[in-house]
Amino acid sequence: MSKIKQKDLILYSALIIFGLFAPFIFSAFKVQLTYLCILIVLAMTWNLQGGEMGYNTFGNILFYGLGMYLCASVQVGMFFPLAEWTESGGEKTFVHTTAQYFQGMGVGLLVAAIVPTIVAGAIGYAILGLRGHYFAICTLGLGIAGGEIAGGIEIIGAGQGFTTPPFPAEIVDNEARGEFFYFLSFVLLIAAFVFVKYIYGSRFKLILNAIRDNEDKAEAMGIQTMKYKITGWMCSAFFCGLAGGIMGGLIGYIDSTDVAFDGREMGVFMVLMAILGGKGTLWGPVIGATLFHIFKEGLWTLILGWQYVALGVLIVVIVIYFPEGLMGWLREKYPERFGEVIDEKDRKASVELK
Amino acid sequence: MNKLTKLFVTFISAITLALVSFSSSFAKVEGDYIVLGSAISLTGKYSSNGVHTQNGYNMAVERINKMGGVEVQGKKYKFEIIYYDDESNPKRAAQLAERLIKQDGVHYMLGPYSSGLTKAIAPVTEKYKIPMVEANGASRSLFTKGYKYLFAVLSPANQYLEVAIDLAVEKNGGKGVKIAQAFEQDAFSQDVRLGILDAAKRTGSEIIIDDKLPKELNDMAATLAKVKAVKPDVLVVSGHTKGALTAIRQISEMKVDVPMLAMTHCDAAKLSKQHGKKSEFALCASQWHKNLSYKDKFFGTGKKYAKDFQKEFGYDPPYQSAESSAALLVFKDAFERANSFDRDAVRDALVDTEMQTFYGNIKFGPGGQNVAKPMILFQVRCKGDDCENRVVAPTKWASDKFYHPIPKWSERS
Repeated sequence: MSKIKQKDLILYSALIIFGLFAPFIFSAFKVQLTYLCILIVLAMTWNLQGGEMGYNTFGNILFYGLGMYLCASVQVGMFFPLAEWTESGGEKTFVHTTAQYFQGMGVGLLVAAIVPTIVAGAIGYAILGLRGHYFAICTLGLGIAGGEIAGGIEIIGAGQGFTTPPFPAEIVDNEARGEFFYFLSFVLLIAAFVFVKYIYGSRFKLILNAIRDNEDKAEAMGIQTMKYKITGWMCSAFFCGLAGGIMGGLIGYIDSTDVAFDGREMGVFMVLMAILGGKGTLWGPVIGATLFHIFKEGLWTLILGWQYVALGVLIVVIVIYFPEGLMGWLREKYPERFGEVIDEKDRKASVELK
Repeated sequence: MNKLTKLFVTFISAITLALVSFSSSFAKVEGDYIVLGSAISLTGKYSSNGVHTQNGYNMAVERINKMGGVEVQGKKYKFEIIYYDDESNPKRAAQLAERLIKQDGVHYMLGPYSSGLTKAIAPVTEKYKIPMVEANGASRSLFTKGYKYLFAVLSPANQYLEVAIDLAVEKNGGKGVKIAQAFEQDAFSQDVRLGILDAAKRTGSEIIIDDKLPKELNDMAATLAKVKAVKPDVLVVSGHTKGALTAIRQISEMKVDVPMLAMTHCDAAKLSKQHGKKSEFALCASQWHKNLSYKDKFFGTGKKYAKDFQKEFGYDPPYQSAESSAALLVFKDAFERANSFDRDAVRDALVDTEMQTFYGNIKFGPGGQNVAKPMILFQVRCKGDDCENRVVAPTKWASDKFYHPIPKWSERS
C-alpha cells in the first residue's frame, strides 16, 4: 500500500511543479492553460453528479453563470454604482485602483462561491426528486432559463452584456494579468481535486454510488438519499460558481447566453469531457478534459467552419469505441493496475466451459 | 500493441504534431507579407454576416496585393490574414484574439463581426497595444471606454435609425409619432434602441411598444399581434440578418399594416431577393450603398466595387463587406504614412487618418469611431417582381423619393 502512495506522491508533486512552472515555460499558452484548469474543474465536479450519483445534470452551467455575474457585479458594486456602470451598454467607465480590483475580486469570488451553493440547495430540494431522463431535461431548462432571465435584467447589462473591470493599469507588466488568472484557476483546480479525492475516500462517495446503483434500495437501507443528493449538488455548485467568477474576469465581457449561461458549449462540454475520460473515476474527467482541450485547440482551427462536425464525429467515436471512457477502457484492459484481482484459474475455467 | 492501442498512439502523435506546428509562431512581418489576424464568425448565429465580412477582407487583400501592395521604407509588402472561427461566441473570440497575438505573433488585428464580439476582443488588443481596425462593431459603448488602439470605419449603432424617426416626424407634420419597436437582446440592437429612445425624446414621440426579442430569433408574432392592435405610426425592428428576415416573413403572413417600417441589415439578409415584393417599402439603415459617389483608386466607385464583388462571390455586396474592405484600405494607408512596422507609429498614423474610400470618408474621432461618414437610409422598391434598394436619405445622396405611407396589404397586389 505504501508503495502506491509513494508513486502517487511523485505523480502529484510532478504535476504541481509542472503547474507552477507551466505559465513561464509555455508563456504564450497561458490563457489556454487557464481554460484547461477551469475545464477540468467543471468536468470533475460534473462527475460527482453524472458519474458517481448517476444524475445526469445539464444544470451545472447555471451555477457557473451565476458565479460569473455575481463576481463581476460585486467587484464593480463594492466601489461604484453598478447601475451606472452597465447603463447604455457600459458607456461610463470607472477605474479600479489596484487594491480595489483585488479586494473586489476576492469578495466577488467569495459571493460567487456561496450564493450558487445556496441556490443549488434550494433548486435541488425542488427537483432532485426527479430521476433519470426527467431530471436531465429539467436541468437542461435551468441553464436556458438563467440565460433568458439574465438577458432581461438591466442592472447587469441585460442584452448589452457586462464588461468586467479591466485589470489595473498600474501593473504595467503585460504578463501579470495572464499569470494572475492562471494561478487563480490553478489553485481552484488543486482545491477541487483535493476535495474530490477526499470524497473518493469517504463514506459519502459510497452513498452516492448506492444512489446511482439502486436508489430505492439505498433508501430502504436507511439512507436519507435526498439529503445526500442535495449536498452533492451543492458541492459541485460551489466549485462551478468559483470557476465562473474566474472566467468572467478572464474573458472581460459577459454575455448572458453566450458567455455566462453557455449551456450550448460549456454546459455540453463538461458532460462530454467527463464521459470521454470515463465517468465515475477520479482521473477520468481530468484526462478527458485535457484531451478534449488539446483536440479543440489543436485541430479546430485546421478545419475552419467544420469544427462542430468534427466534434460530432468525436462523440460518435467515443460512444462506439470507449463507451466507458478512456479510464473505463484502460480498466478493462489492465484490471490489475486498478487494484482488481482476477482469479486466473476461475477465468480459465469459465473460458473452458464456453 | 493491438490495433486500438496503435490507433490511439497515432491519434496522440497527430495532436502533438499539430500542436508543434502551431506553436511555431509567425512574425508580424514575414518576408514580403504583413500578417494581420482576425477572428471571424464562420459558424453560429452570425455566420452569414461573418462570411460577408471575410469576403470583404479577402477582396481587399487580393486587390491591394495585385495593385502593388503596401510600400514601407521603399519595399513592397503584401497583406496576409490569419483567420480563426470564433463561433459567434464572445468567449471564444477573446481567447482567439489572445492566441493570434501570443502564439501567432500577430501585431495588427482586423475586427470580428458584431458589437458583442468586438467588445470581447477590444480589451485584449488594448492590453497588448495591438492596433485593431474594425468594420463591424458599431456599439456606442465601444467608443467611450477610452480605447487607444481601436479604430472603427463605421458610424456608431445609435445613429442607425435615428434618421428614420426624424423622417416619420417630418411626414407627420412635425408632430411626435407613435413608435412600436422590437429589438434583439444583443449589444448592437440594444444600442440601436438607445438611438431611438434619444430620437423619441428629442421629437416628442411616444414609444407604445418596446419589446425585447430573443437571440437567434425566428418568431416575433407576439409583437406583431400587439402592433396590429395598437396601430403605431412607425415599427422599428433590429435583430441582425435573422431579425430582418423574420420580420418581413411574419409581417406579410400576418398582414400587419403599418405606415412605416424601419429595419437594419436588409441588404445583408438579401431581403429584396429573398422576399421580393413582400419586402417592398421597408426602410433600412445602411452604412453604405453602391450608388454613393465616393471613390478611391483601388476599387473605383461603389458601383464598380459592387460589380467586381458580384463577379468574385456571386452576390451583391452588403455594406458589411464594403466596410470590411475599407478597413484594409485604412491599414494600407496607415502603414505607408507611418513608413514603419512599429505598432505605436502605426497607431499614431491611424489616429491621423483622413481619406476617401469607395465606401466613404474616413476620419477617426477621439473614441476611435468614424466621424466623417453619415448613415444612409434606403427603401426597398419593386418594379414588377424585380426589387431594388433605393437611397432615400440623406437628401444629398437620395436617388428616389421616400414612399410614405406604406399601402395597406389589402391594396397591395
